Amino acid sequence: MDDYQTCPKCKTTKYRNPAMVLMVNACGHALCESCVELLFAKGSGACPECKCPLRRNNFRVQLFEDPAVDKEVDIRKRILKEFNKRQEDFPTLREYNDYLEEVETIIFNLVFDIDPTNTNKMIDNYKKENKDITQKNRNRQSQEEMELEELLEAEKAQQSEKANLYVNAELEEKKQKHKAREKLIDELMFSDADAKSIVASHVQATAALAKEQPKAAAQPSSGVVKSSKFSSGIQIGLRGQHTNSFLPIPKQEDLPLYRYTAPVFDYDGPPPPPIEKLGKLNYFANIRAANIAERAGGYTEAMSCCRALQEALGGLFYSPQLTHKTAVLATNSSTQDTDDMETT
Amino acid sequence: MFATSTQRHFWMFKDETDVSNARLSANIKYISSRGRNMTVIEREAHFLNVIEEKSLIMSYEYQLRDFCRKFHPPMPRYVIGTALHYLKRFYVNNSVMDYPPKEILVTCVYLACKVEEFNVSMDQFVGNLKGDREKAAAIILNNELLLMQQLDYQLTVHNPFRPLEGLMIDMKTRFPTFSDPERLRPGIDEFLEQVFYTDAILIYSPSQISLAAIIHSASTSKENVDEYITKILFSEDQKRLLNLIEAVKKIRVMVRNVQLPHRDTIKALEKKLALCCNPDNNSESPAFKKRMKQSFDEEESFEDGQYPSASSDQVRSMLMGLSEMGKI
Repeated sequence: MDDYQTCPKCKTTKYRNPAMVLMVNACGHALCESCVELLFAKGSGACPECKCPLRRNNFRVQLFEDPAVDKEVDIRKRILKEFNKRQEDFPTLREYNDYLEEVETIIFNLVFDIDPTNTNKMIDNYKKENKDITQKNRNRQSQEEMELEELLEAEKAQQSEKANLYVNAELEEKKQKHKAREKLIDELMFSDADAKSIVASHVQATAALAKEQPKAAAQPSSGVVKSSKFSSGIQIGLRGQHTNSFLPIPKQEDLPLYRYTAPVFDYDGPPPPPIEKLGKLNYFANIRAANIAERAGGYTEAMSCCRALQEALGGLFYSPQLTHKTAVLATNSSTQDTDDMETT
Repeated sequence: MFATSTQRHFWMFKDETDVSNARLSANIKYISSRGRNMTVIEREAHFLNVIEEKSLIMSYEYQLRDFCRKFHPPMPRYVIGTALHYLKRFYVNNSVMDYPPKEILVTCVYLACKVEEFNVSMDQFVGNLKGDREKAAAIILNNELLLMQQLDYQLTVHNPFRPLEGLMIDMKTRFPTFSDPERLRPGIDEFLEQVFYTDAILIYSPSQISLAAIIHSASTSKENVDEYITKILFSEDQKRLLNLIEAVKKIRVMVRNVQLPHRDTIKALEKKLALCCNPDNNSESPAFKKRMKQSFDEEESFEDGQYPSASSDQVRSMLMGLSEMGKI
């Protein structure tokens, strides 16, 4: 795929050398590295395709196959440095969307060179109006970046600690083995006891040591635990200093307090007795008693009795009404249909 | 409960004429869309009119009942009630000629089993049907969405069975002078069976229907439960009592007028139906098969009214089964 990309200036060199790297400039055209050097060695500084003046440091290594994409990515990065508001800065979703639309329009205009004067004016206006918010957002972003970096560092530190501990444990083991061996040799050399019994006792001792080792290793390694909070509860580090704490708490309007209103059921029938009174009114004599399994699950006869009574008494006052939709439409359309039938 | 349900808010009619009007409009819509180039007389001869449709639907309701009665495992009453409700509602909005009632029938039962939590797997379900099971399964699954759409996705149905139980309990507790209301059960069950063949379920609330069942059964056994109604149920609302009495009377009249149409008439109507039905929705017709084959080959999207959801394997087996049945 790389072989398809040709440098528009020297044309041949790209085919021959897939390792050749294309650089892209501010006006969106690509040039291979050697051509770039050539261009600026002569000191001319004009793009071979569109003749706009260029600077050496404006050439970046191309990341995308299509140089137009690279141009857009560049412009976008530049613009978003200025236009860095977030959703929290807008009171409604609609306004946030309008802002995003504005940003996209600006980027689009710059990429395709539509109306550059107006666009630049818009950018300048925006910059003037929103200098402080932009600055604050930049600070917030940098703070967040720093927090992320801290987290990453903490992780790395943990990992390196673990690795160290492991290495240390291994060293310790080796040392101990070495010591045991030396002890054995010394005893064999200097003591008067039987050689076999000395060896046997040593074997036992090493076995006992081996059992202790895993137990010791299983104990949690007490490395340096980084505390994240002071004893009073305040958090250490920048994590505690959210920019929100600098802003004043937004004032809540004085809304009326919530008041509970019990739901009213319209049974459209004579009211059934409430579930609590069913036992007293002797309804349960006429209903199947709940067996032990059902009662364990929380079911009582009152529930089914109450439900049956509600359904029985509900709707008794109902008088027939037309609620079905097509019957209403039929009265309109049937007149139309009869007209059709008459004409045909 | 019923008073807050979709059944009350969207599927109720004022009286039988309203229901017939709705069916009439569905009928007219179908005829005018299919018979655009015919004269009035030709149309009359070719298409079914509303009364014929009604008889057909009633015969299919009987078929549904039979199917459910022979169902294995035994189907509880409320599932049958829900299935009949769905069938009635579907054919209030649509014409019999538009969608073949046999297919809609099994789909109604299947959907009712699901909604009323009477769990039957598809294999068990089609095991109760005669004929090609895979084809039946494909038909049911294809029509299920259509059925739900025509029901406006309002699937909760309030049947008269639970109000009946409630009234029984209430009678036993608050009206002990009437000894053993259980004697009325056979009459009640028969009444409730018959009421599903009328349009009463689309006009009156289920508790009114169950009360009508009790009153009917009581009067046939020469008993009198009026005291219960006047003194205990409606002790405070005398004017609503008149409303209820009227409703009960009308329901009983409707049930009395239920008449199963004669088998020969049904046969004749079915023949006529086979001629004038909508071929796009009838799985037996060549146009449908051609369409299914097209969809299987090209995977195009569909126009309104057709919801094939069968997988390609099912479609293939369906086509194989159909082509084997007869070289059409």
